[in-house]
Amino acid sequence: MSRKAGRRLFWAVSLFLCLAGFSLSILTGPVRTTPGDLIGFIKAPDRVLSAIFIDLRLSRAVLAFLVGAALALSGAILQGYFRNPMADPFVVGVSSGAALGAVVAAAIGFEAAAFGFSGPGLLAFLSGLGIVSLVYVLSLRRGGFKVETILLTGIAAGALASALTSFFLFMRSDSYDQAVFWLLGSFQLAEWGQAATIAPWVVLCLLASVWLARDMDLLALGDESAQALGSPVRRVRKAFLAMSALLAALSVAVSGIIGFVGLVVPHWVRILIGPGHRALFLSSALAGGTFLLYCDLLARTLLPAELPIGVITAAVGAPFFLYLLHKKR
Amino acid sequence: MFRRNVSPVLSRLLLAALIGFTVSPCSAAQGGGHVPAEHVPYSRALRASGPALPRDAVIPQIVKDDLGRPFPLPARTPERIVSMAPNITEILFALGLGGRVVGVTRFCDWPSEAKAIPKIGGLIDPNIEVIRSLDPDLVIAFRGNPLRLVDRVRKLGLPVFVLDIGEGLDELFPLIVKIGRVTRTEGRAAELVAGLQSRVAAVDARLRGALSRPKVFALLYGQGLWTCGGESYLDDIIARAGGVNVASSLPKKWALYKRERIIKDDPDVIFVLARSEADFASGRGRLARTPGVDGVAAVRTGRIFELDENAASRFGPRLIDVLVRMAALLHPDELGGRT
Repeated sequence: MSRKAGRRLFWAVSLFLCLAGFSLSILTGPVRTTPGDLIGFIKAPDRVLSAIFIDLRLSRAVLAFLVGAALALSGAILQGYFRNPMADPFVVGVSSGAALGAVVAAAIGFEAAAFGFSGPGLLAFLSGLGIVSLVYVLSLRRGGFKVETILLTGIAAGALASALTSFFLFMRSDSYDQAVFWLLGSFQLAEWGQAATIAPWVVLCLLASVWLARDMDLLALGDESAQALGSPVRRVRKAFLAMSALLAALSVAVSGIIGFVGLVVPHWVRILIGPGHRALFLSSALAGGTFLLYCDLLARTLLPAELPIGVITAAVGAPFFLYLLHKKR
Repeated sequence: MFRRNVSPVLSRLLLAALIGFTVSPCSAAQGGGHVPAEHVPYSRALRASGPALPRDAVIPQIVKDDLGRPFPLPARTPERIVSMAPNITEILFALGLGGRVVGVTRFCDWPSEAKAIPKIGGLIDPNIEVIRSLDPDLVIAFRGNPLRLVDRVRKLGLPVFVLDIGEGLDELFPLIVKIGRVTRTEGRAAELVAGLQSRVAAVDARLRGALSRPKVFALLYGQGLWTCGGESYLDDIIARAGGVNVASSLPKKWALYKRERIIKDDPDVIFVLARSEADFASGRGRLARTPGVDGVAAVRTGRIFELDENAASRFGPRLIDVLVRMAALLHPDELGGRT
């Protein structure tokens, strides 16, 4: 199969799965609803069904899709940025920093909600971006700008943030329930306000990354070669780092830490459609969103009580990833 | 050429957007988001309740729930009530509202009619979608329900009234009064409270002449020596029943007690909070076999008694039954024959 045909197939399948995922999400839930109910609802809207279909299920599906897209895009960007397949939003410390913010907010009872973010969400967003800025500044001071330095600084800062998170959890064991929500992720509290807050930024970052995709391709040749070929390497790097941090921090702020999506989805996509960044960014966003949509569906239907979604992403994502990896060889 | 000119602009734009976004939520948090509940304008509090208000309502009276949030009183008794905690369910039934309760937690098993009511999930995992589907006109939540879930229910436009439990028996009566108020059954609530208070007063009167104050250890049946600390309402009930809780100095609701401390405290009476006769027997047997504990006064004299865990663990009317039973067991001379 030619690469082009393969890509078309990938897109067709992804789009189909995505639409099917949305339909399933709207029809599935603890309150039994049939497609007939949905059609009836569209013909004659009803207060209770409107709350269930639109305010609860659809808003949740949309948010899960957006977060999945944001995390996968963030991961795809960072893997290109570091030229390292292990990179994901965790390595630059965004996720750990954001988790620290959320847990501290839960521990001190910070409740100032704004822009559809809850108090902990707001603090998660700020501390996630804060830690990346810190990592960036620290890396700059060590003479010039080296990818290895930022990677190692990020890992160290992330570890420090995780240690502080554990400390706060230990001190305030009664906020355990909140902590699970932030450390393993959930879309249980999804609402339209959150989707509306993050949607413009996800779209903006997606467009910008697609626009800059050729520069990312050049970075794969090494910074000097890319510079020689006319790419403004430092600016491109800054833009990509800012975008990946923003995407990851927004995701954590609305849904807690959801691991694995940012790491694995770009790999799936690369295995299926090749390494060109323009297609990679677009496809990762679509595949990541679709993947998280199904994970959330499982998280809320598998057991009577809701599972944290982080459990599902790893449990479903890892075996599928191993399968693709070995099939490829 | 084009690309090379655009990239720096774009990167700068993105950075600016990033900074702008980082700053604006801060200012909003200080400005808009931090309005204390009592400053919410009257009209906004009304609007927030939106569809819940009956159409023919005159301007409703505003009361505050235990979170300090304004709540417009319904004009008449709600028809479809969801209770998010067992003690609330129990009080609703005691007020004669059982027929109007349309949703309860899976722990709501008293009175037994409550078992047949649709379940909304548990205390910490209530299901928002199920609550919404029951189309309630009043949701009574409890402070132990995760606040973020309670708020999500409120954002769906449902009228949510949040109640706390107390640290002492005296706080039970205002709780009943509040539930009576919000369900517009003020009269029945007053009667219920008066009845319960007279039973408490009777215990107080009989104990006035009591000379001793036995030392009490309350064991929660299960793994380890879990007991109630000074912040629990059971500590208060033990005191009102004329005893002294040996774990009273622990500044907690529930605490894991050290075996050495029980031996040192040497309680005169041990209450085992058990779900069944069998649990009680096995709890008593375990105490008697625990090295050291087998020598404390309560075990030696056989003053180990069962308390109904179901009644004692719920901040509801049955706590008075627990009080009466406890007092009778601690002071058989003063309250003899009244178990």
